[in-house]
Amino acid sequence: MTAAFVMAAAQGLLALFLAPGVVGLIRWLKARLQNRRGAPAWQPYRELRKLFQKEIVVSRNASWLFHLAPFVVFASTLMVAVLVPVLAAPLPVDRIGDLLVVVYLLLLGTFFLALAGLDPGSAFGGMGASREVTVAALAEPTLALAIFALARGAGSTNLGEIAARTMADPLSAVSPGHLLAFAALFIVMLAETGRLPVDNPATHLELTMIHEAMILEYSGRYLALIEWASALKLLVFFVLLGNLFVPWGLATALTPGAVATAAGALALKLGVLAVAVAVLETRVAKLRLFRVPELLSASFVLALLAVTSSFLLR
Amino acid sequence: MDATFSQLAMLGSSLVLIFGLILLWRRRVPAYINAFTGQSIALAGVAGATGYFGNEPELYWVAAFLLVLKGAVIPALLRRMGRRFGTERELDPYVNTATSLLMAGLLVLFGYAVMRPLVATSQLPTRASIPLAMGLILVSLFVIVTRKKALTQIVGFLMLENGIALLAILGTYGIPLIVELGVFLDALLGFLVMQVFVYRIQETFQTMDIGQLSRLRH
Repeated sequence: MTAAFVMAAAQGLLALFLAPGVVGLIRWLKARLQNRRGAPAWQPYRELRKLFQKEIVVSRNASWLFHLAPFVVFASTLMVAVLVPVLAAPLPVDRIGDLLVVVYLLLLGTFFLALAGLDPGSAFGGMGASREVTVAALAEPTLALAIFALARGAGSTNLGEIAARTMADPLSAVSPGHLLAFAALFIVMLAETGRLPVDNPATHLELTMIHEAMILEYSGRYLALIEWASALKLLVFFVLLGNLFVPWGLATALTPGAVATAAGALALKLGVLAVAVAVLETRVAKLRLFRVPELLSASFVLALLAVTSSFLLR
Repeated sequence: MDATFSQLAMLGSSLVLIFGLILLWRRRVPAYINAFTGQSIALAGVAGATGYFGNEPELYWVAAFLLVLKGAVIPALLRRMGRRFGTERELDPYVNTATSLLMAGLLVLFGYAVMRPLVATSQLPTRASIPLAMGLILVSLFVIVTRKKALTQIVGFLMLENGIALLAILGTYGIPLIVELGVFLDALLGFLVMQVFVYRIQETFQTMDIGQLSRLRH
């Protein structure tokens, strides 16, 4: 029992320290695809270290909310990382929170980030916050529905349980419910983590930016926490995509061999997803902001179809 | 065996339906034509799989006809039309894109509700996919009603055809080949007539916008 809790904490920490590396890997892959040399994959770690050493500059108009938000965002995302099955499933900590907890913890982070964007009263922050909320309002139900389609198939809203059930029944991984839910979740991942068709992660100065506009007022430690949390959020989505839909490799027993296999499988899945995102970001142009709701409603329809088909197949 | 067939039919029907939904999301004519081609190929795949698992050799012929006619000939004709007025996009449909997508989701749900008794009484391994075919029929009708450009409506009509064919294949393992051939011929002729109409509309109004036809009343 204690071993399982240690495992849960360990996989949360692993996710935390792996997250900037995944972001760096995507950036490096993108640079190579665009014929640039690119910064090494560990560049985000250096950036985080630099930011943690810098002083914080806070707007005179900012309230306590501005100081609180980075911690809430970071803590809620870290909690999600503990709850999702990174290396092993099912674990007893799964009982702390199922998919609904995960979805709404993610939403809590988004909510506080939007509040913090509004708080200092800068024009960019307000724009970013209103856009982020527009996107979140459409992405969040899609996320819940997509995972719910899986939960329906597994008969449990418990994430570890869902992964274990798919492992036990390999044929269900290619069922239309799974495939539709995967497509829906992939689109939501792009929207929620501010990747390319929705938001441009590579720039600070663009009128249509979303995530960067909200955190424009942040500096120093606070900015480091927020950047780290957003990297962790990307990793959490990757883990959801990799381990809920293709759960093979997850450790079902807590033996050193199984955990080592799980670590290898995780690295492989993260690598494949990073390549997929990098190729996609190189190929597509950013959508006009007014078309983003259309993309998200398309993914919502996909998730809806996934749920209905999982109902029918039973 | 039956479980695999059921999964395959469901997968193929989902693909057919998704290609139908692309019509609501994209705005350019080439994308519509590609979606239709993909849909026809997926439909031919479903027909072939049903022929194999259901021991209905006639369905192989249907699959071959589908591939040749709807997967190659009609898309080629559509492309020729598209080259002529491909620059016209579906810019302001009667219902905007986000709403149409949600409507399409609701229509598919409605299809499920309508087909529920049939699914409940049927013993076929394909029964779970039947509502998807109904959903595609409803979505294609929705496309025809809400889009303004003649070419979009034609592709909508062709997809409606595909939906009916899918329903026939899934629900009855295909109608007799002679009837199927008649339907193909019907669809092709209907398409050719519509093509003539589009050229006439284009000649008269310099656009494919069906909304312009109301000017004829004055």
